[in-house]
Amino acid sequence: MKYALYTGCVAKGACRELLTATYALAEKLGIELLELKTVSCCGAGVISEDSPDLADTLNARTFAIAEEMGLGIMNICGTCQGVMTKAKANIDSNEGLKKQINETLKDGGHQYKGSVKIKHLLSILIEDYGLDKIKEKVTTPLNGLKVAPFYGCYLLRPFELSPFQDPDNPTDIEELTEAIGATPIDYHGKLKCCGFPYLMMKKEQSLTMSGRHISSAKKEGADCMVTPCPLCHLNLDPYQPESAKLLKEKLEIPILHLPQLVGLAVGLKPKQLGLQKHVVTPQKITAKIES
Amino acid sequence: MITHDVIIVGSGLAGMRAALEVCKDLDVAILTKVYPSRSHSGAAQGGIAASLGNATEDSWETHMYDTVKGSDFLGDQDAIEIMVKDAPAIVREMEHFGCVFSRTENGLIAQRRFGGHTNPRACYAADRTGHVLLHTLHEQTMKQAKKIKVYSEYYMMSLIVDDGICRGIVVYNLQNGKLDVIQAKTVIFCTGGYGRAFKITSNAFASTGDGIMAVYHSGLPLQDLEFVQFHPSGLFGQGILVSEAARGEGGYLLNGKGERFMEKYAPEKMELAPRDIVSRSEQTEINEGRGIDGKDYVYIDLRHLGKEKILERLPQIRQLGIDFIGVDCIDEPLPIQPTAHYSMGGIPTDNDGHVLIDEKGTKVTGFFAAGECACVSVHGANRLGTNSLLEATVFGKRTGKAALRFTQDAKLFDVNEKEELKKSEEKIKSIFNSNGTESVFDIRNELKESMTINCGIFRSQEKLLKCLNKLDELSSRYKKGKISDKGLVFNSELMEFIELGNMLDFSKIIAQGALRREESRGGHARTDFAKRDDDIWLNHTLALKKGNEIEFKSKPVTITKHQPEERKY
Amino acid sequence: MSETTFKIQRFSPEKDKEPYFQEFKLEISKGATLLDCLNLIKWTQDGSLSYRMSCRSAICGSCGVKVNGHAMLACKTQAIDVVRKNKVILQPQGNFKILKDLVVDLTEFWQKVEAVKPWLMADEKTTPEIERKQSIDEFHKIDRASTCIMCANCYSDCCSTDVDESFLGPAALAKAQRFVEDSRDIEKLSRIKELSKDAGIWDCTHCAECSQRCPTDAKPLEKIVSLRTAALNNGVLNNNGARHAKAFVKSIKSSGILNENYLPVASVGFANLPGLLGLIPVGIRMFLRGKNPPLIHHAIKELDDVKRIFKKIGKK
Repeated sequence: MKYALYTGCVAKGACRELLTATYALAEKLGIELLELKTVSCCGAGVISEDSPDLADTLNARTFAIAEEMGLGIMNICGTCQGVMTKAKANIDSNEGLKKQINETLKDGGHQYKGSVKIKHLLSILIEDYGLDKIKEKVTTPLNGLKVAPFYGCYLLRPFELSPFQDPDNPTDIEELTEAIGATPIDYHGKLKCCGFPYLMMKKEQSLTMSGRHISSAKKEGADCMVTPCPLCHLNLDPYQPESAKLLKEKLEIPILHLPQLVGLAVGLKPKQLGLQKHVVTPQKITAKIES
Repeated sequence: MITHDVIIVGSGLAGMRAALEVCKDLDVAILTKVYPSRSHSGAAQGGIAASLGNATEDSWETHMYDTVKGSDFLGDQDAIEIMVKDAPAIVREMEHFGCVFSRTENGLIAQRRFGGHTNPRACYAADRTGHVLLHTLHEQTMKQAKKIKVYSEYYMMSLIVDDGICRGIVVYNLQNGKLDVIQAKTVIFCTGGYGRAFKITSNAFASTGDGIMAVYHSGLPLQDLEFVQFHPSGLFGQGILVSEAARGEGGYLLNGKGERFMEKYAPEKMELAPRDIVSRSEQTEINEGRGIDGKDYVYIDLRHLGKEKILERLPQIRQLGIDFIGVDCIDEPLPIQPTAHYSMGGIPTDNDGHVLIDEKGTKVTGFFAAGECACVSVHGANRLGTNSLLEATVFGKRTGKAALRFTQDAKLFDVNEKEELKKSEEKIKSIFNSNGTESVFDIRNELKESMTINCGIFRSQEKLLKCLNKLDELSSRYKKGKISDKGLVFNSELMEFIELGNMLDFSKIIAQGALRREESRGGHARTDFAKRDDDIWLNHTLALKKGNEIEFKSKPVTITKHQPEERKY
Repeated sequence: MSETTFKIQRFSPEKDKEPYFQEFKLEISKGATLLDCLNLIKWTQDGSLSYRMSCRSAICGSCGVKVNGHAMLACKTQAIDVVRKNKVILQPQGNFKILKDLVVDLTEFWQKVEAVKPWLMADEKTTPEIERKQSIDEFHKIDRASTCIMCANCYSDCCSTDVDESFLGPAALAKAQRFVEDSRDIEKLSRIKELSKDAGIWDCTHCAECSQRCPTDAKPLEKIVSLRTAALNNGVLNNNGARHAKAFVKSIKSSGILNENYLPVASVGFANLPGLLGLIPVGIRMFLRGKNPPLIHHAIKELDDVKRIFKKIGKK
């Protein structure tokens, strides 16, 4: 299994541990990754607010480059996945737009054909790799670990862009959690918004939003949360102390990236997964696992 | 006691349009048992008629003739002339207000063909014309928020009329169960229709004729109630309207044999014959066993129009089929059946909306009516599609203007607040304390069943007498009706109970009026009197409350330009 | 067909301290909508069950209700489609005070809609005798937004409204967009300026609940994004949201990938001392963990091609 890895900006910036964990996990599972190094940011839904055509063109360029490599794109960020799915749908449904974009891409030596497949790591693990195979690779089942999934908006809505059969009742992360021996926790807020998109505009409200979800998960007995989107992770982890202050509650729930959770079960060490970089230390759960 | 210069009951197209006129100089309030944007005007789909001449040449004269003919010559021609002459200006005024109309290549308001209209004059917004008109007026009403007070979720319990003078209304606040009197110099009713008495109807649950019954119980007459329009295309089983626009855009009506059966009944206009004719044609096919699989419905087939045209011109209709019965009209024909759609009858008024107390045209002081609840009468025995949105806006404005003129010189008349409140209090108390055992659900279902079978598209003396007997039985059972919610907050069970009482009452008037009228005209079809009889029946029916009986009178029809002739299509 | 359990949230302010759930059993007949089921329960099992409804044909917007946690129109929903483990859970719309059972207090909702001045502001001086002309394209721009039936389902599930009552909310903003995009309206700029203020377009967290729950073509999130584009195109930039968007684009233009040290600072504004100070705690926390974005920001390879695209398509 080989994929063109689209890292996204955050995995190169404030969440480099996500990239570390992705490579470590991929190696353990035997998935080959070729990092896309000449591609730009997907726009995160922000560039398209300023200039929709620009955002679509930049993404089409990424798609074209992956097509030239003959590989499908693996996203490790839920936002990138949602943004790209939308861009592809926009372009594929509008011949005029596609033509216009290819006119622009031509001078850079690229042409978007439309054949590229774009999937998030979560979908790749479940659909392409398979839960049975993952189970086989588990050396340290995370028995007793209660994990609260936080899906993130960009993988859930709108429905026509979601990879899930029933985006109001997704089970992918839960199934993955169970496959590695842990226990998924249901809680209010699992499918809601972390608030990151408007952190810079309405900080208190944004952090109240994420804080409430962490609080709900904690009340349901979660040891940690896991999220397939590093932007959600940013609101849930480094800003957690501020959320706790706003809610006047003690939170201290570690937030794991998806490959870190799976990595722990297939024998990777916390340091190999970059867990020491988290603001809310995952020490309690790594200790739990080691015991 | 609350006081206003003018109180308008009903917040649909007519109500809000009238308010926008009155608020120019006076204090005015609108009362609605829902919210303004929830009014049933919003359900109208096809269009609003006006001889703009944007699609082809057109003239108000042709529009007038079409409407007079469509009314089966029972429409008052002076009123019709006013309406069709005002039409272009009123539609353009709505556009100036910001209404979102579909457009032609030249940027003008787009118009399409419609049943009974010689030229394409239905101005439309895809297939949600009523919706855009309603929301435009709602926007204008919000703009005048300082001048127009809106009482939402208030139910009008009764009309206060004494000595031929209208003094106000008694109201019930649905949100907290409080009764109040609203005293006003002028009352305007824009309370809509009464289709809910029938089993299959396009009307909202709110269309229970409360306005007309308040008028009747206050001793004022009602006009032409027996004329109910059955729209040919109600979604099977639900009655939800599939707009005539589907036929206007070229849809075919098919029976169980796959035949375009309209050829037998209206060879020239085919599917675009007026509604009463199409409904009767459908019902005849059904009655004679040629429904789909011998059942009680036919098909409207839009497949030949193609996906693009359907998505552009009829998107809402397509969605209705998918959402409510799981049928996509791009791939399959839609099952439809006749549905009680419009109430031609209502409160008799003159051309300015003044409510009349008798056949001579004597006006009630301080009481006006406009829209579907009024009977000016512009639709006579049958309404042409796209003329209802027109009537509501034209006469809403006209009535508002007349009410403004009248009220400027009017005064508040005395109201015995205690007495009036007491009447409503007792009514509610007696409902709560009745210890009833009869199921309101059953009574209502039996009412609808009887009205549909015996007082529906095809009537006869036998059927109507049966119906009246049934109504008497149901009325007795209603007195012992069961109610479980005796609370004050949002007691919708109480509302439905009271509404049922109104439905039983006006159903009697419809059935009696239908029995009395021994001819067939427009929407009123008697199998035992199949011909139109101008000698005896070229007049309006007035129904007055006389104790427990209904007294009927005839009111002359105003004929100006067009002498009655045979109505063929 | 077997009976389905309808778990419905009840509350009567006259008798109950708090809302509670009551279960009803009903057999769902073929083709029955959720409203059909509610009506049958009310008319044959418990007359005191209260909810709003009128047209039952998805045009009046009365019957919005939360079904299994998500806002829907009861009349437009096939009951069989929302049964989960033989149960359907019904609750009143979110973000509202409950009046009774499934009926909510819509006062704030209507106030917010009125606050965006939802009426055409045209040039009265140039009003023609006939209709103002609009091209078919111009009609299409406002046609979809005009399908809104004010059902408040978007407002019910709005994540921003959940944490901040002052947010205007998706319905009001979508309604505003219908006028900003209307070729006949002459107050475009002043509207955008108002909408760019606090509680307006930049207070949306982009969760897409509104578009997902919208039963018509109005799809509020798209309209909010469209308003943001209009704001950015018209130079209405003096707020964190607009600064954030512009800084984001600038960063990608300059290096192809986001400079996460630059973005927060540019968003709050270089002269915004309190805003900048607010960034320090999280900055320190991340620095101590080695989680902060690298101080030396590296561009992507083949940046030139990206720059070329920006030059060609991007705004000056």
